[in-house]
Amino acid sequence: MFPAPFTYVRPRSLDEALHFLADHAEDTKVLAGGQSLIPLLKLRLVFPRFVLDIGRLEELHGIHEHGAAIEIGSLLRHVEIERSELLRRAAPLLAETAAEIGDVQVRNRGTIGGSLVHADAAGDFPAAALALDAQMVIRGKAGERVVAAQDFFVDLMTTALQPDEILTAVRLSDMRARFGPRTGTAYVKLRQQASGFAIAGAVALIALDASKKITHARVAITGVNGIPYRATGVEAKLLGEVAGDSLITSASQHAADGIDPLSDIHASAEYRRGMAAVVTRRALSKAIQLATKS
Amino acid sequence: MAINPGTGSNGVSGTTSNGKPARKRSVIGKAQTKIDTRDKVRGITKYTDDMVFPRMLYAKLFRSTVPHARIKSIDISAAEKYPGVKAVLTGHALPVAFGIMPVAQDEHVLAYEKVRMVGDAIAAVAATSEEAADEAVQLIKVEYELLPSIGSIQEALDNPDTQIHSTSENGNIHRSIAYEFGDVEAGFAEADHVREDFFFYEGNTHLALEEHSSIGIWSADQKLTLHSSTQNPHYLHRTLAKVLEIDQARVRVIAAPCGGGFGGKCDPFNHEIAVCKLSMMTGRPVKITLTREEVFYCHRGRHPVLMSMKIGYKNDGSITAFHNRTVADGGAYGGHGPASMLYTGVLQTTTYKMPRYKFQGARVNTNKAPCGPKRGHGTPQPRFGQEVQLDKIATHLGLDPAEYRKSLLVEPHSLTANWLPIATIGLKKCIDKVVEGSGWKQRRGNLPHGKGLGIACSAYMTGAGTAIYWNAMPHSGVQIKLDRSGCVAVFCGVTDIGQGSNSMLAYIAAEIFGIDPFDIRVVSSDTDITPVDLGSYSSRVTLMAGNACVQAAERAKAIIVEAVAPKLEVPAERIVFEGRRVFDEEDPNKGMTFAEAVILAETQFGTLGTTGSYKPPKWPGKYRGAGVGPAPTYSYCASVVETDVNPHTGIVSVPRIWIAHDGGTSINPTLVMGQVEGSVYMGLSETLFEEMTYRGNRNVVHKFPSFLEYKSHTSNDMPDIITYLLEDPEPNGPFGAKEAGQGPLLPIPPAVANSIFNAVGVRVDEIPITPDKVLRAIRAKAKGQEGRVGPMRFPEVPYPDPIVVATPDDRDHVVATGKEPVGATK
Ligand SMILES: Cc1cc2nc3c(=O)[nH]c(=O)nc-3n(C[C@H](O)[C@H](O)[C@H](O)COP(=O)(O)OP(=O)(O)OC[C@H]3O[C@@H](n4cnc5c(N)ncnc54)[C@H](O)[C@@H]3O)c2cc1C
Repeated sequence: MFPAPFTYVRPRSLDEALHFLADHAEDTKVLAGGQSLIPLLKLRLVFPRFVLDIGRLEELHGIHEHGAAIEIGSLLRHVEIERSELLRRAAPLLAETAAEIGDVQVRNRGTIGGSLVHADAAGDFPAAALALDAQMVIRGKAGERVVAAQDFFVDLMTTALQPDEILTAVRLSDMRARFGPRTGTAYVKLRQQASGFAIAGAVALIALDASKKITHARVAITGVNGIPYRATGVEAKLLGEVAGDSLITSASQHAADGIDPLSDIHASAEYRRGMAAVVTRRALSKAIQLATKS
Repeated sequence: MAINPGTGSNGVSGTTSNGKPARKRSVIGKAQTKIDTRDKVRGITKYTDDMVFPRMLYAKLFRSTVPHARIKSIDISAAEKYPGVKAVLTGHALPVAFGIMPVAQDEHVLAYEKVRMVGDAIAAVAATSEEAADEAVQLIKVEYELLPSIGSIQEALDNPDTQIHSTSENGNIHRSIAYEFGDVEAGFAEADHVREDFFFYEGNTHLALEEHSSIGIWSADQKLTLHSSTQNPHYLHRTLAKVLEIDQARVRVIAAPCGGGFGGKCDPFNHEIAVCKLSMMTGRPVKITLTREEVFYCHRGRHPVLMSMKIGYKNDGSITAFHNRTVADGGAYGGHGPASMLYTGVLQTTTYKMPRYKFQGARVNTNKAPCGPKRGHGTPQPRFGQEVQLDKIATHLGLDPAEYRKSLLVEPHSLTANWLPIATIGLKKCIDKVVEGSGWKQRRGNLPHGKGLGIACSAYMTGAGTAIYWNAMPHSGVQIKLDRSGCVAVFCGVTDIGQGSNSMLAYIAAEIFGIDPFDIRVVSSDTDITPVDLGSYSSRVTLMAGNACVQAAERAKAIIVEAVAPKLEVPAERIVFEGRRVFDEEDPNKGMTFAEAVILAETQFGTLGTTGSYKPPKWPGKYRGAGVGPAPTYSYCASVVETDVNPHTGIVSVPRIWIAHDGGTSINPTLVMGQVEGSVYMGLSETLFEEMTYRGNRNVVHKFPSFLEYKSHTSNDMPDIITYLLEDPEPNGPFGAKEAGQGPLLPIPPAVANSIFNAVGVRVDEIPITPDKVLRAIRAKAKGQEGRVGPMRFPEVPYPDPIVVATPDDRDHVVATGKEPVGATK
């Protein structure tokens, strides 16, 4: 369980990091919180020549609010997101999701950027990013580009990020500014008992108008497919309807429509399909409850 | 058939040998601190991996990445040249096969002809650092000629020509056995009902937190010392001498403080032998500490077992005959397998009256990590089947499952159909305790849908009646040394794997000498220094080493009395040892300190030392294989489990468990409770979570063999446990004690399954009971199908012809009538 030998590099600035990457992109792995990369190194599933530790770059820390726009530095740790007053108010879904990740040790070290770039099939943040329409701010030697979450997750553990690029921040909007005052969100997952990873997890975002009609419905599912996806079948059933228990139950049945669920040692495909519906129903009813109350 | 109760020689009875009432005990039966706890809690205890010797080298093993192949070539040249490497070892240097059981010598230290599983060791490297050894191992190249691999019981039976071991009995059937005690068909004919159920119990592993670690030291005077995290230094000692081909008298094994065993450190392991050989090659100490991944390859955990249980019963539920067929998936090697296989059948008679019993068992080899003795060794699987089946019968006959069990219990001091000697049995009281505690009568049947209560019972051996290799010597020995300092040193081969066996010896000696347990020095598990004890397995240590210690201590006490009595001018029988003093019972002021008493004895008799030993009684059965199953006594347990079953997710949570244990007198009730609760933890975790899963046809264990993939309960998942200790003394045990370490695991899996049935009306006849399976059963039931998940059939197994044995009752019948009963040919 020793990683293959590598050279450890710690840049002093983002520019220095990008310079290094420009020359060594193919043999370098970026290290943030290490909660996914270190196990991969130890299992020798990756054996880079260089490990570029961006963990102390100040530029990638912090949360900034400009009006309704929020920018979260990619190095923000899960625990910081969980506890951020700003996020609890403006994007409670993110704080709630962070609290569901792994265990205390993982949350103390893991970062949102690492979680998004790692793009685990059962990662929690990717689903939240999809539902919230998060924008990924990416820097490379050519400068900055912004990619929508929708286009960021390409395949199992594969994103639109190029090897010479760094994810610097995640942008999103204040939830109520974007979707209206009666918006509620929820994240519900069934945990794999050893790691805490989702066997099935559902993010729900529901906005209502004054007559309880659903004006926005976002449902994103993780753990079921190779990459997180929007359950468009569920969303279509909800949109424009008046929120209620039987609507939620029938809409949830479409949580895994068109999906060929994963089957592995933790759960069969059939079980995951069933659980996608269960967590979707639970997340929707929680989100609607919160939307109604606000 | 009734037999005589034990003789009560170990201070159990209410009176002493001279007819006076026994004095109050000052140590036994009281909550005591373990003698090694303070060091452990403060991190001072040195486990094997903490030990460092001058010039020590570090070893790593090269392991197979394919499940079944012939080895075409092994190229170690690059590894040998790697900086820091001092030796590279391959299997050609160690051709002698080994295995803990004389009948299963099928392991090699390093494979050189064939690999039989992913993880089989092929080469070993010793280098000046662990990192260098690790790098060098990666440079080893092995060419394989792949063979088809066997991944399951069915595949093993279907493919006898792809033979994993040429020494197997028949194809891939490693061992098989068949017994018939009494005429089982006649029993079925007598029954009002006959039913057959199929069960499956998946394999799981021990998960001791300490990874196996060993240090081999070959000295200039041609002596070998091995420090190792082992449960069984004695068998390891024999194996080292055999495989390394050196005189056993020159080999010393020291079992280091152990960070958990649970059966996972019972076998002699290839890495233990490899570091010795590497030390012999280099003349330097060599250490290896396995990674967690490698511990998954060592395994020796629970056998996956497929079972068919056919039972005949009357309208009142009484059993007329039982036919139990099992097939165990043994993985790649023998190990304890022949015994494990027998244990899937021999103890089925020890709880409930069963006049006729037929058992057919087989163990197959597969290309997976080898199975072996995990806590309960071979018995939790059939216990699961048997207790679930009884629940089904109770449902069928409309009986209360608790009352029903009480109506079936075997008699104390009787013989079972397969000639096992039952001593004391407190099971009826155990059932009453958990029924009472759980509110069974009021609550069961009145709970909302999704909540349930289930009951199950168990029995377990307190020590095996036979050693693993045939011999007529003691199973445990104790030496006691006393000297003028007042120090008492107890020497014994027992291995404390955290269960507290060293403390147990201190408590017993302290009780007898009237001193404090912390006054005693226990020296254990060192084959050069301590008398042989067979090891920490089979729940044998407290009873066997405890009895040996009682004997040695009583002998030493007698010597002291002989010196003290004339000095005090008091008759010997009035001399009492208590409160660190030796004095006249009738005039406590007339006496001296314990140390002064020892000085008197040492002055009079010279250097003081005594020995004690223990050998279990001869077993009553006379048929071949009758030595597996008998024990000096059995422990008994009953448990009620409360479940909360979510009908949408199939997730089962367990808020509360009641368990009552008949473990005889507790030497230290705190430790007994710890064993009971630890067993509940382990049993519950394997019921709901744990399984050794192998991927696809490559037979790779888990996705990555690690704690991330292997699900196990943590303290977060633990329910409230309400534990009752019966404390009824067992005449065969030291101060009345029986076992506590394994039996309490056994009722948990079936009690959970029975509780789930009570909660949602479905049967999962398979362990582990995962949410997936529960939900499938619930959905099947909702569709009007059978609400059950479990095996649908039992394969054709070519069992041998049964050994037909008359039951003890048949024998009585012969004596009474002069007529041979049907089927009694022996
Ligand atoms: C025991 C355990 C349980 C876990 N349970 C969960 C869980 O329940 N849910 C869940 O979602 N996750 C879980 N995780 C994963 C965890 O959330 C990781 O923290 C996260 O996936 C990676 O973040 P990191 O900062 O640790 O990234 P690292 O491990 O440092 O990096 C991960 C990958 O992202 C790349 N990378 C990181 N940051 C950047 C960046 N800014 N720009 C470009 N590339 C970058 C790295 O090169 C690497 O390929 C668990 C992990 C463990 C060990």
